[in-house]
Amino acid sequence: MGILDHVWLGIVAVFTEAPVATVLGLPISITVVMVALGFLGGIVVGATPGLGGPFAMAISLPILITIFGFNPDALLPVLGFLIGIMKGATVGGAVPAILFNTPGTPDSLMTTLDGFPMTRKGEAGKALRIAHFSSASGDTFSDIVLFTCAPFLAITVEAYLDFPEKAALIILSLAFISAVVGDSVWKGILAALFGMFAAFIGTGEDHHPRLSLGSDALAGGLPLISVVLGVLILGEVFAALEDMWREKRATDAIAAQAAGGDDRLKLRDIRRILPFVGMSAGIGTMVGALPGIGSTLAATLGYATGRRLHRGEVRFGDGAPEGVAATEAANSAVSGANLIPVLSLGIPGNVAAVFIILATETISGFNPGPAVFRLTPDQVNAEMVVAFGLFTAMVLANLLNWTIGGVFMRSMGIMVRIPKQRLLPIVLLLTLTAIYAQRPEMLSIYVTLFFGLVGYVMRRLRFSVLPFVIAFILANNLEEAVRQAFSATGADPWFLFSSPISIAFMALAALVVVFFARGRERKAI
Amino acid sequence: MTFKSFGAAVSTAGALALAAGPAAAAWKPAGPINLMIAFAAGGGADTQARLISTELEKTKGWKIIPQNVTGKGGGVMARKLKGQPNDGLTFGIAVTQTFTYNVLAVKNVGYAADDFTYVTTTAGTQLGLVAKSERGWKSIEDVIAAAGAGTTFKLGAMGPKLADLAYVTEQKFGIKFNTVMLRGGRAVLNAITAGDVDLGWVAGIQNKGVKAGDLVNLVSGETARLKISPDIPTLHEIGIPYDAGVKFLIVAPKGIPADARKGMADAVASVLTDKSTKAAQFVQRAFGGPSLISGAALEKLVADSIENNRKLIAATQ
Repeated sequence: MGILDHVWLGIVAVFTEAPVATVLGLPISITVVMVALGFLGGIVVGATPGLGGPFAMAISLPILITIFGFNPDALLPVLGFLIGIMKGATVGGAVPAILFNTPGTPDSLMTTLDGFPMTRKGEAGKALRIAHFSSASGDTFSDIVLFTCAPFLAITVEAYLDFPEKAALIILSLAFISAVVGDSVWKGILAALFGMFAAFIGTGEDHHPRLSLGSDALAGGLPLISVVLGVLILGEVFAALEDMWREKRATDAIAAQAAGGDDRLKLRDIRRILPFVGMSAGIGTMVGALPGIGSTLAATLGYATGRRLHRGEVRFGDGAPEGVAATEAANSAVSGANLIPVLSLGIPGNVAAVFIILATETISGFNPGPAVFRLTPDQVNAEMVVAFGLFTAMVLANLLNWTIGGVFMRSMGIMVRIPKQRLLPIVLLLTLTAIYAQRPEMLSIYVTLFFGLVGYVMRRLRFSVLPFVIAFILANNLEEAVRQAFSATGADPWFLFSSPISIAFMALAALVVVFFARGRERKAI
Repeated sequence: MTFKSFGAAVSTAGALALAAGPAAAAWKPAGPINLMIAFAAGGGADTQARLISTELEKTKGWKIIPQNVTGKGGGVMARKLKGQPNDGLTFGIAVTQTFTYNVLAVKNVGYAADDFTYVTTTAGTQLGLVAKSERGWKSIEDVIAAAGAGTTFKLGAMGPKLADLAYVTEQKFGIKFNTVMLRGGRAVLNAITAGDVDLGWVAGIQNKGVKAGDLVNLVSGETARLKISPDIPTLHEIGIPYDAGVKFLIVAPKGIPADARKGMADAVASVLTDKSTKAAQFVQRAFGGPSLISGAALEKLVADSIENNRKLIAATQ
């Protein structure tokens, strides 16, 4: 049995097993239905301020197991649903970022930079179309790379990344994000250090809760979702409310959102953004194939590279469609490539991939790892069939994305007509409700409100919030990687400089800071 | 839809089933039960707890509200559970180690072993020291021989107790490990697969890889030999008088009514011994079957484990 036979068996499994209905004489299989349901649910989740794909995946996994059980025939429907959510949420995440300036996840923070100015110019529809086009392109590109390279690429990457290299890679990511975003490198680094400080409360390897001042509430650490969404969404809502209040005092009216701008996506626009989409899709795919770094770095890298390339009349940050395209293509391109380390090594690259692994661990019949792509003559490798079934489900989700995904996104544009003074309280309520649903205790609300205030103050002092958020998310990974590298090298204090690769990462980190510190006017986020 | 509304739907179905068939439960909770799960949402341990809850709702008609309270190896959950009313409406699920090792090894842990009533265990681990089979090692003796030749191996551990065990092994055989602390068995297995560590402690998820021939168990960390590798000796058998296997454990605040304690233990046992339930099937798949110890036998298990851990900690100082 060759590879192609396995590909065919995978496709057949997706489309023919366990049909639930017939349309025009064609049986519709349960996997197809689950992919579609997951995808549509994912868009809604992604478009809701405060909710994200990983949360929806965490909730649905136990429910899916209850419905489908643990036998191998549950694999494709369950994985199909999870993949649908993953892809839908990535596309949907751009909606609140563009329409309300409130990114649902750190991934789409860079989308607000140009997406929201476009909305203010009355081009919300166009921004949404560009986001959809770029996101779907980046995703498709990344999937193609996954299908063709998964078997060997991840093994090569992993062979070169040991503990010290992983620690150095996180340091490089942090240095890059601090230096590139915002109007001052030093403010960026300060924000990152503050984010790390917040992340160190109550965490760490020791079971004694450090920095918690003896409080039981802080002993478990600050809830991630509260801190991140507090800074990203509440901070923005507070700042916008103050702006509105000042506006009303000055002019006795609140400006309505402009409408009637250029709302269509023309061939000319596509030609304009295509180089940015291509560049970002490549960046996102590369970042995705690295274990444990994630889509936010990809989005930032894509945006920063796009800003360098850009020569148009509208500057990045003033509502350039290229800015939206560069960010969305990059963060969407991560999701396919992220499955490269998952399928060939069983190692997750980001949170969404963790749930794919958990699902395969719970259901029998598929063990992500080197055995998945092993060919035995005259035998069907059932796991390879599942892998290709998974790829088929991804192609299916991509097709849905190109077709109904676009329609769905465009219909969201209508929300922009809701007046700001009504919309912001709705966003606030939705966010707080979403946070409470994910961690049902008042502490998570208090923490969210506090970090909303922090986000507000940072915006007013023109500190970029992204280094804070990324440092908060990566700080514990960094601490772990550093501790692990230190003990794996037998307590060598120079562990960060123990191999050519880690030395190169460290040198790059220093270089990035020095290079961007040579004062240049940049717009604060 | 949240898990709760899903749970409500299931419990309605459960109530209907109850109306149809005879109910033989001796103890009935006076209201909804809070179940604090000390594991992260979506993982194997969490799935186990949620499936047991769903099954209890279905067969007993109880209402159970599961909530994840994670952090500090179950310590955050234990601290929270300690202060709850002991009316038989609040339970927690964690591992034995939270109550038998962490209370000794962690300073200011914030709770003590006798702050709780131990209700029942549900399942146990299959802890083994694991390596990739391509290394060519067949058992721990091969590793000791290789390490004796002057090579320092990197060993992945997922908690301080396993690091203690690695230390005791070093002392016993005069070899040297660089012990790397990793977060959870999955992380250890990843590090082994990726070649970041040479060997590591894994508590059961290595079974698939061992069966496929990619991984090999070198020594059993349980009191008994591992089910999947019956030829591999235990730590006791190679002269190290400790073990590190843990069991999943349902606990309650100290002094809950005796009938609530027995009622919960019996209900969980009836769910996990009924092979037709999803909970039982899952426990079979993920942990090699249920391990149900309750009442006085469980109290003895906890006390013995504390004693064993006290000796281990003394041996490392």
